[in-house]
Amino acid sequence: MKRHRLEAWLSHHSTVIILAVPLLVIAAITDLLAGSLLIRLATAMFVSMIIVIGMQVFMGNSGILAWVHVGFMGIGAYIASVCSMTPQMKAIAIPQVYPFLLNIHLPFWPSILVGSAVATVVAAAISYPLMRLSDAAAAITSFALLIIIHAVLVHWDRVTNGPRTLFGIEEYTTLWISVVCAILVLIVAYFFKESSLGLRLRASREDYHAASAMGINITQVRYFSFLISAAIAGFGGGLFAHYITSFTPDAFYLIETFNILAMLVVGGPLSISGAVIGTVLVTVAREGVRAIENTINLNHLLPFEVIGLTEVFLATILILSLILRPQGIMGSRELRWKPKKNMDETNKAK
Amino acid sequence: MLRVEHLRVRYGAITALHDISLSVEEGELVALIGVNGAGKTTIISTIAGIVKAVNGSIIFRGQSLIGKSPEDILRLGIAVVPERRHIFPSLTVEENMRLGAFSRHNRSEYRRDLDEIFGLFPVLKERFHQIGGTLSGGEQQQLAIARSLMAHPELIMLDEPSLGLAPSLVDQIFSLIVTLQSRGTTILLVEQNVERTLEIANRLYLVNTGRIEMEGSPEQLKSQAAIKDVYLGEGKSGGGKP
Amino acid sequence: MIVFEFLINAISLGSLYALIALGLVIIYGILKMVNFAYGELIMIGGYLLYLVGLNTNIPWLIVAVIAVIGAMVVSYFTELVAFRRVRVKSLTALLITTFAVSTLLQNGALLVISPRAKAVALPQIFSTSISIFGVGTPVRNILTIVISISMLIGLTILFRYTILGIALRAAADDFQMTRMLGVPANLVISSAFVISGAIAGVVSLFWVGRTASVTPTIGQGPLLIAFVATVIGGMRSLVGAVVGGFVYGVIFSFIGVLLPQVLLDYREAFMFLIVILILLWRPEGLVKVKYAEERVG
Repeated sequence: MKRHRLEAWLSHHSTVIILAVPLLVIAAITDLLAGSLLIRLATAMFVSMIIVIGMQVFMGNSGILAWVHVGFMGIGAYIASVCSMTPQMKAIAIPQVYPFLLNIHLPFWPSILVGSAVATVVAAAISYPLMRLSDAAAAITSFALLIIIHAVLVHWDRVTNGPRTLFGIEEYTTLWISVVCAILVLIVAYFFKESSLGLRLRASREDYHAASAMGINITQVRYFSFLISAAIAGFGGGLFAHYITSFTPDAFYLIETFNILAMLVVGGPLSISGAVIGTVLVTVAREGVRAIENTINLNHLLPFEVIGLTEVFLATILILSLILRPQGIMGSRELRWKPKKNMDETNKAK
Repeated sequence: MLRVEHLRVRYGAITALHDISLSVEEGELVALIGVNGAGKTTIISTIAGIVKAVNGSIIFRGQSLIGKSPEDILRLGIAVVPERRHIFPSLTVEENMRLGAFSRHNRSEYRRDLDEIFGLFPVLKERFHQIGGTLSGGEQQQLAIARSLMAHPELIMLDEPSLGLAPSLVDQIFSLIVTLQSRGTTILLVEQNVERTLEIANRLYLVNTGRIEMEGSPEQLKSQAAIKDVYLGEGKSGGGKP
Repeated sequence: MIVFEFLINAISLGSLYALIALGLVIIYGILKMVNFAYGELIMIGGYLLYLVGLNTNIPWLIVAVIAVIGAMVVSYFTELVAFRRVRVKSLTALLITTFAVSTLLQNGALLVISPRAKAVALPQIFSTSISIFGVGTPVRNILTIVISISMLIGLTILFRYTILGIALRAAADDFQMTRMLGVPANLVISSAFVISGAIAGVVSLFWVGRTASVTPTIGQGPLLIAFVATVIGGMRSLVGAVVGGFVYGVIFSFIGVLLPQVLLDYREAFMFLIVILILLWRPEGLVKVKYAEERVG
């Protein structure tokens, strides 16, 4: 009996291990065998994975697409950067920075957490009414919020250096930090999904009115899930900032939204496995095509430059995915370990 | 004319119709009665092509309706006046009527059809240029029926036409339905007003939780104790449980 | 008399914005979807003005017609090939699809033509000024007002008096019932997309006319404008979108003149904040419409 229970428990929660182990393997192989370019790509992939999982947490469980998600990534990135940069660097990079910001100098991890916290606070402030809107109105409001966050990042140059590049951030995010953080976020997402809050949210996705009739306060449930999602996005944004070390507000706008959406939709928005698999597949495909694009351009294989080929390719894949398999590769299933029945049971069945 | 066999419909995990079989002969007035949620509207919606059946067949004049779109089904000769009327609230009566005639290709018939309709529904002529949303409930019901008639349907399905109407209007609607039948239109009527329905229907089906529980002529149904009990309150147990 | 010149500017911008909004709301009213690829239809119009206008000797008026038709064709095909198949699945999937198509078209232009801005052929008349009541103003402004109003009148006639227009308005009220009366769903939807494309095409003539050049991202500005205008005026009604667009354009002009330079940069963010507030206070928009929303199934 005990073995059964243990097996059942393990099987049920095996998703986390099935996903985490290959990620660690990828990181190990890349670290040991690959050059610095691939290491950077792998790091970027794991950071993106965090953002994608963050979006999955809300969208997969509630069924609502939060267009504003990448905006929180941006908030996390900028705040974490301002916290972690040395005052000397800040004075150069953000010439008109507020004095009280100038003197803040936190170590890496606290900066990341502050970034995530600020993103969460902003989400808390602006999104409660969003939770009650219908499909179409919610999508529009969410999108408008993304635009506003972008506009604020572009114009509040005493904090962000405006539309100009913010540079001088220390490169703290290593390959191993990014993969471990991705796995941590994965675990958080998984236990959220299985928690009572996650279950209630998924009930509301399946059937709004039935869930409501059962006494689930859908607005509240959505709201808290949204905050968790924003916290993850802010966290990922901070990691992103310390990987790429310089960026502009445009890094957290439509292009990034498109990338994240492509990864989530191709893999399957309803499951965490989908988010992970989608990120890996799309990253590999994208970098592959980009390599082709660069080879063509650098070697002048064609009489003209091909720019934008990668994005055209990705967009086509996304559209085909939506037409042919809108639930993504994983659909609503998670990767699970299904233990084989032992000999006694199979004998009994006969 | 219309034959439904072993129809099975599911909404997600819930089976709304289990095994529905019914038929409507040409010129008949067939009624579906039953309590709320029994599945009557689902039957209408499935025949109309709005809801997809999991199993079963729907044959109209030898043609299968399964898988056809609502617009195709209209063109085959079946019109639907749905529950709660669904007139176009921002369009005028005239525009509602013009849209009803969309499937007719002969423009000259339009005026003649309109005059005929006005004969049946004089109030619509008065309100011809009024916006649909400002009409009263009874007028909207008349508009919904009139609009469907513009398409010259052979079979018209009416879902709860008397819902929410004052008693005098209910009389009006029921006598209108009888008139329609006398003009040659076949009618499939869904109603909760059992008393009046028993007066005008040729045959009835009693629908309960997705199944046909009883069928027959008004006399046959009236004599069944269940009907008396539940709907007419004449039985010993009085108005009680279904 | 500066006031007069400013007024013409404001009205010109207002009419253009009204038109932009209308193109987006036609689709939204019926399908309850925001077509993120709408801006790219304007981009297509602009690129046709570049490709056909600068590389051939065809008179500008014909080139303009080609641009408009091009936008209509692209709009039709995006619906036929991509949106139609996803439409039945879910609204979210549909929105993402429009977003993907938008990215595809933008980068397609980047790939096939160039990431750099391209000069666009404009008729001589666009750069001249005329004098009205002693006030000088670019002819372009007057043309914008005249053409926009003509289009609005033309569309009003379409919507009010033709059976197609009635069917479109009915579909916006109750799509399913429209089908039950025998109106083919695909006809209604394709027509809406073609009309939206036609509007986008006309808008592109004047939008591109302001900078005399076209870039792959030129569609983003109008899309956001349509967004804001539609929210202000009401996503449920065509009249609302037109009013919203006009009001937005006029207010935008006013703010441009009145605000101190510092706050001017925040003009956009400001407008979007108003958008959010309106959405929260009155999700149906400022123009009152009485009927509840429904979605195409």
